[in-house]
Amino acid sequence: MMLICGTIPQEDFPLSIGTVKFSGKSLTVGAREILCLQGTAALIGAACVTTEYLGEEPPHALLVGDRGTGKGSRLLYEYLSKNLPPLAPRVLVLHYILPVMGLMKKVCESAQRCHQKPIMIADASSMYAAKAAGLATRFDVFTPDACEMAFLADPDATHPAYMSRHLFDSDITQTPELAAKAYQNRSAARLLLVKGSVDYIVEEGKIIETITEPDIPELEAIGGTGDTITGIVAAFTSAGLELNEAAILAARANRMAGRYARAAPASRIWEIIAQLPAVFREHLCAWRGSCGEMMVATR
Amino acid sequence: MGAFGKNKKEGFEGGGLILFRNVEEAIKAEKVLKAADYMVKLVAPPPLLRKGCDLALEIALVEQTGIERLFREKDVHYVEIIPMKGSGELLEIVKVKDFGEAMMVKAGNMKLTFDKKLGTILNISGGGCPDIPYLHAELIDKKLTCAIRPRENGFTLCALMLDRAFVESLEIWNRMEKP
Repeated sequence: MMLICGTIPQEDFPLSIGTVKFSGKSLTVGAREILCLQGTAALIGAACVTTEYLGEEPPHALLVGDRGTGKGSRLLYEYLSKNLPPLAPRVLVLHYILPVMGLMKKVCESAQRCHQKPIMIADASSMYAAKAAGLATRFDVFTPDACEMAFLADPDATHPAYMSRHLFDSDITQTPELAAKAYQNRSAARLLLVKGSVDYIVEEGKIIETITEPDIPELEAIGGTGDTITGIVAAFTSAGLELNEAAILAARANRMAGRYARAAPASRIWEIIAQLPAVFREHLCAWRGSCGEMMVATR
Repeated sequence: MGAFGKNKKEGFEGGGLILFRNVEEAIKAEKVLKAADYMVKLVAPPPLLRKGCDLALEIALVEQTGIERLFREKDVHYVEIIPMKGSGELLEIVKVKDFGEAMMVKAGNMKLTFDKKLGTILNISGGGCPDIPYLHAELIDKKLTCAIRPRENGFTLCALMLDRAFVESLEIWNRMEKP
């Protein structure tokens, strides 16, 4: 089971857990509908489309309303800390949750208590909390952008807003140096997918792949395009791919979806997500070198 | 309140410090923040950071934006909010990327893109704090000149970075020649 955890920008949204249905522009968890906007909703949307294409079980989501006060986030941390072992997800994705170092530690301790430790993926503020609390090495995948890569490389920063200026001045081409620093400081997950004009896949400190095509600069402006990459990585991982292959395919698919959607600075994230099935249909077998068993449902 | 409620201090690591000029201000600030359900802890600031008072408040640094707004509303005086480790200054630098008909302004981990002809906000990307999806929904399609600044509705450092991008975008828009 893949469990995606995050917040929804509706203060009255109660803590909810269940499978998710995705229908174009919105998600449904239980009886509640959520618009597919930037953030955890975009991540879930991409994960749903990918699992459906692969013929896999749809993701489960643990969601709660939080507009930034942290009240919902704290409920979510509390729930995870108590219930992760019985939930026993194979893949655990932590996303838009107010970064609270002490509470992230509780969640990681709870993950350690699972019969089999989940594959741990963090993006956005959960990645900030994991790094700031010194827990990065407990994670299997982080998906930073160039700025967040610099944050991971800064040994003292607890949030990207307070990192050293010289590191913020770095650009995506300096990812190899920044990643080396992050691994040296134990501030990186086992695998990094660094999103930018060049996507870098870094595994245990070694750059194993760079992806530059198709080049769609507009994707950077569109809210949610980083979230969708994380959702695709999680779905491929949940389907049984190795992390490095999941990351490479996710980076390629996200770029190609941008091309198919004719991405523009005003594009919405659901327009990108809507293109993923066509991208998978036309490219996935070629990218993998074969149509493996994981794609039975698509053949 | 649950086992991990906001007032539980045990194991609290906030990463941020609020410095004060005197003890009375620190006590008042603690009361105001606790009443608003923020997690805080009275601590002795490190000697190098001391600004006249031997009491400081440890806070979750990411909540700086909401805390500063609350202090303005409740007339709480403080010297500054700083991280306990690393760079003591918020990133001021912004970067700009021109897409032709649109302009993207980056501040820290946040990016705001606006239409160069109309001055409307086209997109917001980056970040990862829980207030960003809300601010995204609130700001998209609004004119820069009419939109409410992110720091007025946001709570986190991501919102503060978005506010920087917003202010810079508005300045660029105001300087632009209009058709």
